[in-house]
Amino acid sequence: MADVHAIHPAGKEFNPWPAVIFIVLVCLALLFLAPTAGVLLSSIKTTREIALGDLWSIPDRLYLGNFAEVLQNPAVHRYLLNTLMVAIPATSVSLALGVLAGYVFAKLPFRGSEALFLVIIAGMFFPPQVILIPLYRLFNAVGLIDTLWPVIFVHIAMGLPICTLLMRNFFATVPNALREAAILEGANEWQVLTRVALPLSLPALAVLATLQFTWIWNDFLWPLIFTQSDEKRTIMLGLVNLKGQYSVAWGVQGALSLIASLPTLIVFLFFQRYFIKGMTMGAVKG
Amino acid sequence: MERETGVWRLVFLALPLGVFTLLVIWPLASSFYYSFTNWNGFSAEYDYVGFENFAKLWTDKLFFNAAVNTVIWMVAAILLPTLLGLVLALLIDSRIPGGSVFKSIFYFPICLSAVVVGQIWIWIYQPDWGLLNTAVNAAVGSDLSFAWLAKPGTALGSVIVAWSWQQTGLSMVIYLAGLTSISEDLLEVCEIEGASIWQRIRIVVIPLLTPATVVVVALSVINSLKGFEILYIMTGGGPFNSSDTLAMHMYNESFKKYLMGYGSAISVVLFLVALTIIGIYFRELKKVDEIYG
Repeated sequence: MADVHAIHPAGKEFNPWPAVIFIVLVCLALLFLAPTAGVLLSSIKTTREIALGDLWSIPDRLYLGNFAEVLQNPAVHRYLLNTLMVAIPATSVSLALGVLAGYVFAKLPFRGSEALFLVIIAGMFFPPQVILIPLYRLFNAVGLIDTLWPVIFVHIAMGLPICTLLMRNFFATVPNALREAAILEGANEWQVLTRVALPLSLPALAVLATLQFTWIWNDFLWPLIFTQSDEKRTIMLGLVNLKGQYSVAWGVQGALSLIASLPTLIVFLFFQRYFIKGMTMGAVKG
Repeated sequence: MERETGVWRLVFLALPLGVFTLLVIWPLASSFYYSFTNWNGFSAEYDYVGFENFAKLWTDKLFFNAAVNTVIWMVAAILLPTLLGLVLALLIDSRIPGGSVFKSIFYFPICLSAVVVGQIWIWIYQPDWGLLNTAVNAAVGSDLSFAWLAKPGTALGSVIVAWSWQQTGLSMVIYLAGLTSISEDLLEVCEIEGASIWQRIRIVVIPLLTPATVVVVALSVINSLKGFEILYIMTGGGPFNSSDTLAMHMYNESFKKYLMGYGSAISVVLFLVALTIIGIYFRELKKVDEIYG
């Protein structure tokens, strides 16, 4: 824990503040956790229990029927598979393109490259609704509506600004001398990038992969616009679809939400450091 | 040598710039173009209608309603997470045990999707067994079954609370990062000089957090402009358009009524609003950079 403290500097005598602050924080934390606790509790209770108004009590036994119901539903498998088929290629390609562009902006600047960089970064700030209609028309014209392709392509394009920004900032910290030495040894730019710069940039790539995967997994808007049939829906749309099917089966809905959030929760638990770093890095340099 | 570098630039930038131009720049330009047409989303033919769509905006009561809601939504969606995030950051930053656990608790909702956050909060507001009514009833012994999301007076506010719940963690971590840059010596001087806690926070800490505040506010603006999904999930803009925002209105006109020309005009307005805010942001960022280096 950082030893900097705005509220009370190094204390001398008895100081009541830490205890007060601790209690306030515990209360706030409980308040913050309550919404999620509701979903957790619902997923291990029967619909009957919930309908009887017994959602918010700790159950005396674990009911796993909701999870069984969800995991046996072939539609859920399809939704999860579709989401992976979008998230994995879109994350990797947007990272790759960000590496390429970031390298040029950091190490091979040219006249006007700063302006070009700003244009790409500005893409991060716009509401996606602005380009919805033309993209719909474009993908409709090439017959890709109701496939996963438009979702993948659009995520690559929309991820490009943040990937380019973070990779440029990271490559800027790689000493120029490394590149020059490699060039003198007869390496070309591709070799400098793949053998010198890229091995050094694994932390930055981890940050980006974490952010991109989470955003793409959680996305709702693009698959809503570009897919129509149930076969092509991703998990977040599937979640909304299944709400109709399980309209009063709240326990099943809770289990569904949990399973749909599991990949991003796991990513968050293991890569929390990268996640926060990515958010603040992107923010601080915005 | 220089020529070779030029070739590599071209090789490296071709794909990223190609994708960006095709899928971001070109559609952006096209939005402007379609806003002057009456395209319906299906037919290959459409007419150029001049400023007709923009003239319609002036008379569209629903557009005006959506614009007002967007302002309310943005102001609240900026203020609430920013203030709450600042308070949490200050509390966590003091010497208390378990700081990183608290940090994770407040931060984790950011990794949930809008759909799941919406779902969670729909349950909180559920009239019969939702946590909110249950808690109120337990506290005052009433028998309330108020449908928070189905009443025009409370729908937008209810979604704003859910949104703030998710976004607060983000401003908190940025403020925490900002707090680590404040020197401990400075705070100790305040203590020696006899400044109270409030004076210390108001006169020293908050002004020194200005760069962090700029980032937090900017991010909140950007995110709140994009805050379409959670409204779509929780209220769909209803009841009676009481939680309709510009992004929501644009979606309905374009993809429900298939008035894509008119929808484009709304998205052009949305774009201009975003552009203005980004312009202001970059200007302020430059000022802050000059002051704080």
